[in-house]
Amino acid sequence: MDLEFSEDEAALRDNVRAVLAGICPPAAVRAVFEGKGDPASVWSRMVELDWPGLGLPEEAGGLGMGYVAVALVAEELGRAVAPGAFLATVTQFAPAVRELQGPSDLLARVAAGRVTGAVALAEESGWEPAAVVATARETADGWVLAGTKRAVLDGARADEVLVIARAEGTSGPEGLGAFLVAGSDLDATPRPVIDPTLPLADLGLDGVVVPPDRVLVPPGAEGVPEALERAGQEAIVALAASTVGACRVVFERTVDYAKVREQYGRPIGSFQALKHRMADMFLAVERATALCYFAALTIAEEDPRRAEAASMAKAAAGECQELVARDGLQLHGGIGVTWENDLHFPVKRAITGDTLYGNAVHHRARLAQMLGLAA
Amino acid sequence: MRLTFGPEVEAFRREFLAWLAENRPGEDEMAAEPALSSAHVPEWARRWTRRLFDAGWLVPGWPPERGGRNAGPVETLVYLEELTKAGVPRTTNPQGLGIIAPSILDYGNEAQIRDYAMPVLRGERAACLGMSEPGAGSDLASLSTRAVLDGDSFVINGQKVWTSGANYADFCFLFCRTDSQAPKHKGISVVLVDMATPGITVRPIAQIARPEYPDLNEVFFSDVVVPETNLVGKLNNGWAMANGSLAHERGMVWLSGVLGLERQMAAVLPEAPAALARLAPAERAVVADGLVQSAIDAVAARCLGYRGFAKLVRGGSAPEQALMKLFTSESNRRLALRAAELGGDRAVDIGATPDSAETWMERYFITFGGTISAGSSEIQRNIIAEKVLGLPR
Repeated sequence: MDLEFSEDEAALRDNVRAVLAGICPPAAVRAVFEGKGDPASVWSRMVELDWPGLGLPEEAGGLGMGYVAVALVAEELGRAVAPGAFLATVTQFAPAVRELQGPSDLLARVAAGRVTGAVALAEESGWEPAAVVATARETADGWVLAGTKRAVLDGARADEVLVIARAEGTSGPEGLGAFLVAGSDLDATPRPVIDPTLPLADLGLDGVVVPPDRVLVPPGAEGVPEALERAGQEAIVALAASTVGACRVVFERTVDYAKVREQYGRPIGSFQALKHRMADMFLAVERATALCYFAALTIAEEDPRRAEAASMAKAAAGECQELVARDGLQLHGGIGVTWENDLHFPVKRAITGDTLYGNAVHHRARLAQMLGLAA
Repeated sequence: MRLTFGPEVEAFRREFLAWLAENRPGEDEMAAEPALSSAHVPEWARRWTRRLFDAGWLVPGWPPERGGRNAGPVETLVYLEELTKAGVPRTTNPQGLGIIAPSILDYGNEAQIRDYAMPVLRGERAACLGMSEPGAGSDLASLSTRAVLDGDSFVINGQKVWTSGANYADFCFLFCRTDSQAPKHKGISVVLVDMATPGITVRPIAQIARPEYPDLNEVFFSDVVVPETNLVGKLNNGWAMANGSLAHERGMVWLSGVLGLERQMAAVLPEAPAALARLAPAERAVVADGLVQSAIDAVAARCLGYRGFAKLVRGGSAPEQALMKLFTSESNRRLALRAAELGGDRAVDIGATPDSAETWMERYFITFGGTISAGSSEIQRNIIAEKVLGLPR
């Protein structure tokens, strides 16, 4: 196993980082947090650079660079605390459409950056497809949806929303289907959240009618739980990478600050109590990074360990966030908890990334099942 | 990045596995005469190390005359993994093979290589490493065991402690002070001392677990006379070797940390479901979560190690060594305690006889060897903070 970047991967990473420094500098991030920014312009630059089709196969209209490239971009987006449609469209919507339906005209339009998407999966019952409660009922006009989706990333701004719902009277993995709904046809309630670069919305489905040609897969079709599971792994690892990228920035800024901030006539970074905390932060970041790359590889290479690796990466990213956000804020002292200092942007990005698609506790509970440790 | 190695590496793996199947010592043979300390070399181990040496499988990265086959680092990694999977140690004198012989090969003269390094590689002699002292643990450079030149001999006086395997070793790779006026790092030399030399007293230290089989020792030197020709390298150049020997030790030590963690995890997972079922329902999820965290640690340790290793192969430095030492030893300790607690009241059991298999609690005590020796976890954090993160001293 070779877990270091190839020359191509390193070049891609450097390129993405340089582009983001240009289109998403700290002032632009601050503007988004202060309600004055324009995420759409960041996204349109990404489209010009062909990022939407980075990981999609060439026959689906993409660049065929595979999932590792997608994860690298997600990590850099976390580093830059970049807004834009990449995470929802490229790491959630596109994989779900591809896994459920295979190459399609819709996917080609996503790859070309002409369509943005979101996946409406989670509900009050949680993040697992098997826990979906929302229903779809077939009528003469099409399928009528009912229920409420929660915390849909880009749910109030995506062009297309893929709604996961089930046939009435079914439960668990049985009876699941996927429906395409234009964002404008949904009753979207944007949520006030800590990180506006990852905007969430709750979506009311009641009364939405999906015509037959917008049914991606009808409820109960074969292979839906597996397809959603596989697509979910791509979403999970991308969020883990984004979280780790944000954590690394918090960590680096903390170390830099500890080198220059002086008390008692010496830099605070010379005190052993603080050194040890920063060493532990470094370990947490490196541990989560390594697991993210491993998980990305298992997806890229269709390795059977991909479900386990994805949950491990997400759990480690969440644990990393818990430690690095806390100690990053703590070691900055008063300045760290001001609005004026930029530190809170990556902190909030990391916490949000941990929360979406199941936090560390959620994924450790999943792992307990996979490892045969669940009661 | 990719998950697998290339076909040449896999061919190398097959070649080694075929040889191993033909030549390895049997389980019964090993169980009948277990190694009692890290410098005790039972007969089967002598034969086995010699067989590895003759076949060029002892240190694959070295040339054939030194027991190798000029293999690359990736091949060496594969070799060590397969050996560990097979449950066969290369040697029962790991410091001799991993630190002392390589240091003598790097710094010693021809006679020292012939009489000390090569016999270790052929399984004929066992060596111990005389470093720590009562007043010099983490701060090794303040060691005070003195070697005074008198004619063509050194006269050595002082005391070492925590010396692994001194109770069985044939000779000691001894760090001692040869210039008491110089700054502390610049007055240290290394001398090879036969353990049979008059004036040496070895007092084994019974440990917290398995007191019947001590591995650590106090070693007292009272007017011990050693020929001047036993000086390794230049006079007062010992500190370079202290760093060098630790570098030898840490070059691949991450792998043994990872493999050890994986082995512990593989041992606890099959026991876990039945043990969890015995717990009260409300306890199960909490205890299971601890084991899941350890399972994540085990996979993370391997991934982290491979990342550092990939940097090394590409010619870069691997600052992750301190990180790996810290991470694997702490993870091992966490896992051993979680596994012990899984047993409910059985947590406090010890083996019925000194030869029974270790219980998890005994393993927990033994894991402190990992978090304390060769630079404690606290020292590793200092190294990470200062050498990797560049924080001021």
